Amino acid sequence: MSDGASDPPEDSAGTADADQTADPGATAEDTTGEEAVTDDVVDDTTEREVVANDTPADGTSGEPVGGGPRKLHILTIPYRLVQQGAGIVVFLFFIGVPGLTGALGAEGGILGVLAVLGIAAAFVGYFVAYYKRYEYELTADTFDIRSGVFSRREREIPLRRIQNVDISQSVTQRVLGIASVGLETAGGGETEAQLQYVGEDEADRLQSEVSRLRRTSDATAGGAPEGETVEPAAETVFEITQRELGVLALVSTDFRVVSLVFFAGSIFGPSFFEELEPVFFGPETVLGVLFGPIAAILSIIAIGIFAGAVSAARYYGFTLNRTDEELRYERGLLQKYSGTIPLSKVQTLSVRENVLARRLGYAALYIETAGHVASAGESGGSQSAVPLAERDRVERLTRSIEDAPFDEFERPPKRARERYAVRYSLVVLAVTTLLYLASMATDLLGYWYLPLLGLLLVPVAAHLKWKHRGYYLGEDHVVTRNGFWSRTTKIVPYHRVQTTVSSETVFQRRRDLGTVVVDTAGSRSIMGDDPQAVDFDIGTVEEIRETVPDRLYEALRERKRSRSLDRLQPESGGPEEFDAGSRTDPPAD
Amino acid sequence: MSDPDDPAESDAVETRPPATDSGATHTDTPDAAPSVGTSASTIEELDEELVEETVGELRRLDPKVRLYWVASRLLGGLIAAVVVAVFFQFAGPEFGLVETPGDLPFGFAQRTVVVGVAAFLLFGGLAVLHAVLYYRSWRYEVREDSLYLTRGVLTRVQTVAPYVRVQHIDARRGPVERILGLSTLVVYTAGSRGADVTVPGLTDDRADELQQALKRLAIESEEEDAV
Repeated sequence: MSDGASDPPEDSAGTADADQTADPGATAEDTTGEEAVTDDVVDDTTEREVVANDTPADGTSGEPVGGGPRKLHILTIPYRLVQQGAGIVVFLFFIGVPGLTGALGAEGGILGVLAVLGIAAAFVGYFVAYYKRYEYELTADTFDIRSGVFSRREREIPLRRIQNVDISQSVTQRVLGIASVGLETAGGGETEAQLQYVGEDEADRLQSEVSRLRRTSDATAGGAPEGETVEPAAETVFEITQRELGVLALVSTDFRVVSLVFFAGSIFGPSFFEELEPVFFGPETVLGVLFGPIAAILSIIAIGIFAGAVSAARYYGFTLNRTDEELRYERGLLQKYSGTIPLSKVQTLSVRENVLARRLGYAALYIETAGHVASAGESGGSQSAVPLAERDRVERLTRSIEDAPFDEFERPPKRARERYAVRYSLVVLAVTTLLYLASMATDLLGYWYLPLLGLLLVPVAAHLKWKHRGYYLGEDHVVTRNGFWSRTTKIVPYHRVQTTVSSETVFQRRRDLGTVVVDTAGSRSIMGDDPQAVDFDIGTVEEIRETVPDRLYEALRERKRSRSLDRLQPESGGPEEFDAGSRTDPPAD
Repeated sequence: MSDPDDPAESDAVETRPPATDSGATHTDTPDAAPSVGTSASTIEELDEELVEETVGELRRLDPKVRLYWVASRLLGGLIAAVVVAVFFQFAGPEFGLVETPGDLPFGFAQRTVVVGVAAFLLFGGLAVLHAVLYYRSWRYEVREDSLYLTRGVLTRVQTVAPYVRVQHIDARRGPVERILGLSTLVVYTAGSRGADVTVPGLTDDRADELQQALKRLAIESEEEDAV
């Protein structure tokens, strides 16, 4: 039902989270929020102390930033009422009232109307109370929210823990001039705070203020000179061109779905439409013969146009701005989204090219932070930094964030191809068998043996699968690449590695092959999409598994060193420094 | 559930010559920990000692863990067997299996009971087999700067968890584990596969030791970093 009603469970989940991450070994002092997930635990007392020292540093305003607690936008009440209450009331009115009338006669009908009115009043009361009770405040160091109608909740989110600030607006919300603001931290899978809804200006103000304050408190905590809170120059690093938007619309269709439709159409179509023929056509008409394939092609086109239009509208006007320590994106034709991605919280970079985009020379870039951003309509909880752009633009942008080469790869040994060949052959045989059994049972499927033609494609498919796998151990990064239909290149800085896991299935062992997964705290990896080197020689696998953690230690030491140098000469805060040097692991007590 | 698998002892101390006296650490006897403690005067030193004698040795789990695995899987086997029996009773005739007229309570046939018991024996047998093989495959090693685990029957899995990434360490004792005097150590990292780093089948003392040692090593690795 409504958000408000789900408040209590959400609340308890939140606290449980906090408890769970509470880590006796974690050290709060100097953490600047990089080891995102852990650092979530910094307790409030420490934070407050920082606040106390911090306030004078906040050059622009001495008092609590933003002038005390604020309320949501007043239009929130009617909007949410219509959005969430109306449906239920209408449902009750049309189902409940006639039902009661039927059961109890006219009196029942009156009773029903009264009940509906009562429920409607309850809804209005609830949302008004929700609005009245909801207060948020941006202080120099935390973002506080007090909310809840039945059970009260007070939440303080340390600004340094905030990973992303996202603004989203649907069409209706744009007309009303309101927006939803989501704050993400690394803890838990949910959005830490969702302000539904505030005015547009207020949303923008929150976004930029959070960035500014986070910068200030970082600077102070990092020992940088105080008072350098000048708004850093934002530079537009990427703007989607009309052409790219067109290509995006073209390639965003998932070709696996399309080929499936086509496949199904060609198998089921003829025999299925044979049944219909007496209705539509004479048995011998050309049209009748072609009907199956034509229907398949039309549905492909329809799916394609729809998917294309959706992603074109979604990424219309995509712009990416970069300041010293964060990226800020804006996009959307009908629904509007904007968000920030702090560069210091980047876990993994993924470059994705599906088969068509690859051919046309385009690629997409995703940036994973430890936060979770499913709410803004992003796929898979990671942030699409660039939905689609010419490959060298993507490469340049990627290299400006993490300077790793992504065209040099070690390929798996050739014997890995045998595995894929066997695997695909089995799939083809299984499909054929199923179709055969189905045709036995129903008489509907004439061409059950058609999939056997797929056996001809097996060697090609196996080769392609093999060809697009790879890994590369760079100076500062481990890079992996997988996938033919949608090739994903993942760049993981060594200092982001959490664990390495190698595994060999029975089938891999027969060929002395294995898989290594490099685990990070990125949110995307929950989807089983981790950076991994698949089907490499067992010796290589062991080497990667052992080398990467070693490099992790080296990288951490390196960063410690460069950070202590930073401390000695604080002026040297160029963009590169911010990327690599200024935030590191908390030193132990 | 006695297991016929004796070679366990023969390769108990295998691979890599142990850096230190392995007798004290590997034994399952509960007096292992006190014997360590005798020479240590402060907690710090005790910790140091624990770390030293824990590092650098490929270890096996306690053999009793097989019982634990078998016990926890037998429950699943039991449920599966009941499902099979019920299926046989009601759906069997439909598929041309022999008619199963019931003469037991709830109209169950004796044949059904036989099928159920057979299924249970099959699942139980598989559980025992898997437990034995899984136990044989399990090794863990406390290294200088990471925890290394290897295990798996059909799919072998090796995990390297660097100490810097350790968030916290839990020792878990389930009901069956408590009866057997075993513990499971769960090492959490911030990674999405955090729960992958789990060491089952440790004697309680060993689990405490290991937890202390890992904690110590995790802190040390941070300090070393801070330089």
